[in-house]
Amino acid sequence: MIHLLQANISTSAPSSYLPIGLQIAFAAGLVALLMVLTHLLGPRRKTSDKLQNFTSGIESHGDARQPMAIKYFLTAILFVLFDVEVIFFYPYAVNFKELGWAGFGAVLMFVGFFLCGFIYIIKKGALKWED
Amino acid sequence: MNALVLSAILGVVMMFSGILLKRPAAIRSVAIIGLLLLLASNMLDMSGTRFFSINLGDFLHFDRFAFLFNSVAIFCVLVYVLLTGKAIERVGVKNYADYFALFFFVLCGIFLVTSFQSLLILFLGIEIITIPLYILTGSDKRNLKSNEASLKYFLMGAFSTGLMLMGIALIYGAQGTFAIEKFNLLKIPGSPLMIAGMLLMLFSMAFKVSAAPLHFWTPDVYDGAPTVFTSFMATVVKAAVFIGFIRLFENAFGLLQPTWQLWVALMAAATLFVGNITAVFQQSVKRMLAYSSIAQAGFMMLAIFALNGDAKEGLLLYGAAYSLATIGIFSVLSRMDDYSYESFNGLAARQPLVAATLTIFLLSLAGIPLTAGFLAKFYMIKAVVATGSNLWLVVFALLMAAVSVYYYFRVIQAMYFREAGEHSASFQEPGKGFKWVLVLVAALIIALGLFPSLLLNWLYF
Amino acid sequence: MKNALQLAYLIPLFPLLGFLLNGLGRKYFSKSLIGTIGSGAILASFAVSLWVFFQVKSGNTHVAHYFNFISVGDLKIPFAFQIDQLSSLFLLIITGIGFLIHLYSTAYMHDEKPEHFGRYFAYLNLFVFSMLLLVMGANFVIMFIGWEGVGLCSYLLIGFWFRKEEYNKAASKAFIMNRIGDLAFLIALFWLINKTGTVTFLEVFSAESLSKLSDRDITVITALLFVGATGKSAQIPLYTWLPDAMAGPTPVSALIHAATMVTAGIYMIARSNVLYSMAPAVMTVIAIVGLATALLAATIALKQNDIKKVLAYSTVSQLGYMFLALGTGSYVAAVFHVMTHAFFKALMFLGSGSVIHAMGGEQDIRKMGGLSKYMKITNITFLVGCLAIAGIPGLSGFFSKDEILAGAFATSPVFYAIGLFTALLTAFYMFRLYATTFRGSFRGTHEQEHHLHESPAAMTIPLIVLAVLSIVGGYVGVPEFIAAGAHSLKDFLYPVFEPSYKILQEHHVSHETEWGLTIGSTIAILAVVIYAWTRFSKKPDLAEPQGLGKVLANKWYVDEIYDAVIVKPLNKLGALLNNIVETKVIDGIVNGVGRLVNYGGRQLRWVQSGQVGLYVLLMVLSMIVIFVLQFFFRK
Repeated sequence: MIHLLQANISTSAPSSYLPIGLQIAFAAGLVALLMVLTHLLGPRRKTSDKLQNFTSGIESHGDARQPMAIKYFLTAILFVLFDVEVIFFYPYAVNFKELGWAGFGAVLMFVGFFLCGFIYIIKKGALKWED
Repeated sequence: MNALVLSAILGVVMMFSGILLKRPAAIRSVAIIGLLLLLASNMLDMSGTRFFSINLGDFLHFDRFAFLFNSVAIFCVLVYVLLTGKAIERVGVKNYADYFALFFFVLCGIFLVTSFQSLLILFLGIEIITIPLYILTGSDKRNLKSNEASLKYFLMGAFSTGLMLMGIALIYGAQGTFAIEKFNLLKIPGSPLMIAGMLLMLFSMAFKVSAAPLHFWTPDVYDGAPTVFTSFMATVVKAAVFIGFIRLFENAFGLLQPTWQLWVALMAAATLFVGNITAVFQQSVKRMLAYSSIAQAGFMMLAIFALNGDAKEGLLLYGAAYSLATIGIFSVLSRMDDYSYESFNGLAARQPLVAATLTIFLLSLAGIPLTAGFLAKFYMIKAVVATGSNLWLVVFALLMAAVSVYYYFRVIQAMYFREAGEHSASFQEPGKGFKWVLVLVAALIIALGLFPSLLLNWLYF
Repeated sequence: MKNALQLAYLIPLFPLLGFLLNGLGRKYFSKSLIGTIGSGAILASFAVSLWVFFQVKSGNTHVAHYFNFISVGDLKIPFAFQIDQLSSLFLLIITGIGFLIHLYSTAYMHDEKPEHFGRYFAYLNLFVFSMLLLVMGANFVIMFIGWEGVGLCSYLLIGFWFRKEEYNKAASKAFIMNRIGDLAFLIALFWLINKTGTVTFLEVFSAESLSKLSDRDITVITALLFVGATGKSAQIPLYTWLPDAMAGPTPVSALIHAATMVTAGIYMIARSNVLYSMAPAVMTVIAIVGLATALLAATIALKQNDIKKVLAYSTVSQLGYMFLALGTGSYVAAVFHVMTHAFFKALMFLGSGSVIHAMGGEQDIRKMGGLSKYMKITNITFLVGCLAIAGIPGLSGFFSKDEILAGAFATSPVFYAIGLFTALLTAFYMFRLYATTFRGSFRGTHEQEHHLHESPAAMTIPLIVLAVLSIVGGYVGVPEFIAAGAHSLKDFLYPVFEPSYKILQEHHVSHETEWGLTIGSTIAILAVVIYAWTRFSKKPDLAEPQGLGKVLANKWYVDEIYDAVIVKPLNKLGALLNNIVETKVIDGIVNGVGRLVNYGGRQLRWVQSGQVGLYVLLMVLSMIVIFVLQFFFRK
């Protein structure tokens, strides 16, 4: 099954996989070693403070598994969606000159669709916090 | 290209129509007009009138076969909207327009899948098709079954997407390109990387068309989804993915046929077996139709197996015949409040016209002569026979087709040979328009059963 | 120049129109209008058939090509009709008898509601349409379309009175048994396409394409086609549907289960006679299956008490005869018997319908008796039918049966002996039926006796016409040894079977032997007839049968075996005759497959548990299996 990984038939000698093998062995070995070491070397003192969840210094209260309003998720997901779309602007900004008017047209279209989506979610009331 | 762009725009239009228009009938009219426009623009494209001239590079290539199938798909969606559009209101009036928007987006994905030239576009198309389907499956929000089906579909769909991506990655590793035209299979035909990638692609496509042994999601999802949307998923979408399937295996992996042919044959046989045998034992017509869709997929797999001219023509005919008939049956089913066989008892006496057209649809699915279904099956079998070997597959397929008669006829028997009793479900009185469309579809199925060239001649001129 | 026979499309067109009119308008038309449309359509196609027949008789045969039905790659399947001697003869039988039965039905079904009346005639016309397609088709595909069509219509018509559950079961049984046969037909069809690349009769049977077929191909194809024929023409092991199919209205039994549909298998083999003549092993199998069916069905008929069941088993038996004729190479005799049998069996079924009509739905002959006093025309015509089927000299059945027996004798005296024995049984049970029904004294209730009457003219006229045909129908095939050159049917059909005659060497039996055989068998039959007549007129056997009689009355328990062969092996059947064992083995396999399917279905359903984890696990496992096989076990 080792051939599964081979990319080029001309360099299929097993020796050419040596670096990869070494790297895998090193990575796995390092992880194992560190885990074992911390387990063996670290001092262990259990206090109730240490077992608590760390939430940026804010005191936690209640159970993490209590139901949350769906609004949080909706807003979060919409944020991610639009955030990711904005990322497209970065490469465009870098290549602004090279792409010229055609590029401008394309991005305008993109923004147009983008805007449609934005208007749509507002009209649908997805961002309305109060019912 | 016309239809591709237009479908995306129409999807957006539908989204906003829900905000601007309040009456469902108005929204439906917009959708129907949109579909007619789409059909017209696609036909124009086929006859050489292009609205856009864009260098598609290695990404897309529109050929006659793709155009023709796109027209069939648009037409089927049109029929579907005409027949079931009103029943969708029962799922939810609030988001009524959004469902139609999703149909247009799915169509957009279909156009990509039927004419992709690069594995990236294939992936994109498949995802554009499936993501709206996850939503449609779960659209009946108050119904736990619908929720469960949606989640299951999503989980397993994500699994198959993973397979496909892994396959594409491996193939890229082997070939150094996504463009299927540039694949060089002669130089290194048996590269394990390529074969592993190809098998992964085979699995993920088999998942999408619900071929065994990757069919497990189908019955649960089709059964759980609102009936109106099952109709959509099980017909147009499935046929379209098949077109992508055959395109992938013909243009990209055609030279590797000796390697994959056996697996496709075994999958086809397994699909036929599982679909037909399990369908026999179902007590609900809806679930029976879910298994029947698996069984029909098994028949369509034969086209992939044979992969010759007959097979491609046959697949087109099969897709049209199967989709139209199944849409028709589901449209009747979605007007009933119970899906057991008993609920069809005595339907012939109460709704003679509906029962008669339903009988034609069922006969077509069962492959009885003089219907499009028979010719479609005939083309498939003929294609396999033309490969010259594997007669066992032919015999097995025919045997399974014979089994299928049993469960399709149970419905006919209930409608005609049984009296309406306490089990008979109430049937929403259909309007004149509904009946006319049903008759039209039935007539079309018979016409295609007599003159398949009505459809297939479009391939050549 | 266009051949006038291009107009042959009119023949199936009329019934199709009749079907559409009656099917769509059945709610608005009056009963008399429906009856007129239904019968008129068949009468019109009968008129065209007559014209076609005389065209053919004057030497004009033609393949009428209309359009290309299917064209896949090199394979072109035209929608075409082949009008030749064989098909024109069948056309006459189908439309002629079909018309009489339609006419009869207008009276017989008169008590139905107009809507059902319309449905009935629509189905009947559709059936005739399919049968015409079957016979006229110029290739196996058109034939298959008709083949499926008749199966479907028969399903609809058997289940016509769908309020009774058992009728539904009978309809399903008929359809499923037919489907098994159809499956074999389809496989043969694709085999033929694969080897010769054509399905058109004229091309398949040409020397060029026959040379492409190896002996093995021919044997397999003919054997598969024969399996198809056993389904449609009710032969062992697929015959049990036919007696059950008597659930339908009586005219339907007459049309479908006596005169037309069941002869489809005979027609198909006669059409493909060249292929069969090249496969002697299959011919022998056909002869043996035919003979076994004839004997088995005749013994069962001995003890049946339902008037229609007796006729049904007699049909199965007579079909066995026809297969015997095909198997021994006497194709003409088979076609001849199809024709005469169509006359007298339709006559008897319609006669029995007349009786049932008069008895107010009663079908048990033990409750009849002495009906000759009340129903003169029915009595006389039914008697004619019985005499014809028994093979009394001078009537049609005599000539065709004699020709079959002569052919059997030429092949093997054993065939002849069994065939003759079956003929004696036939004479016996037919006259048992006749005497019990029409002779002696009436055994029904007083009320029934009061109600007894002769049927209306629309029912008696077809009876009279059929009776006349049953008498004179045989004179188209007077055997050589009685009058040289008088077998006009043989001369007429000669071109169809000519290629076979070249392949088969003819066994000649001297005229003296034939005379001897004929006289001997006639005397035996007459003796049986007189014995049965006198015995059952005086003392009809009303008691529950015992011993072997009970076995016969229960149809050799074949139905029970079909249902429970694995559950109760060898239970009450140990002492029965050999052919039971045969059916048992066959059914064991059939049922075993059924159980396997059942079991497999259950297991598959269990797998569909709804657990996503299990699904994904199964998918991954199957993928791993494929990967392992691909990379480690395939080159």
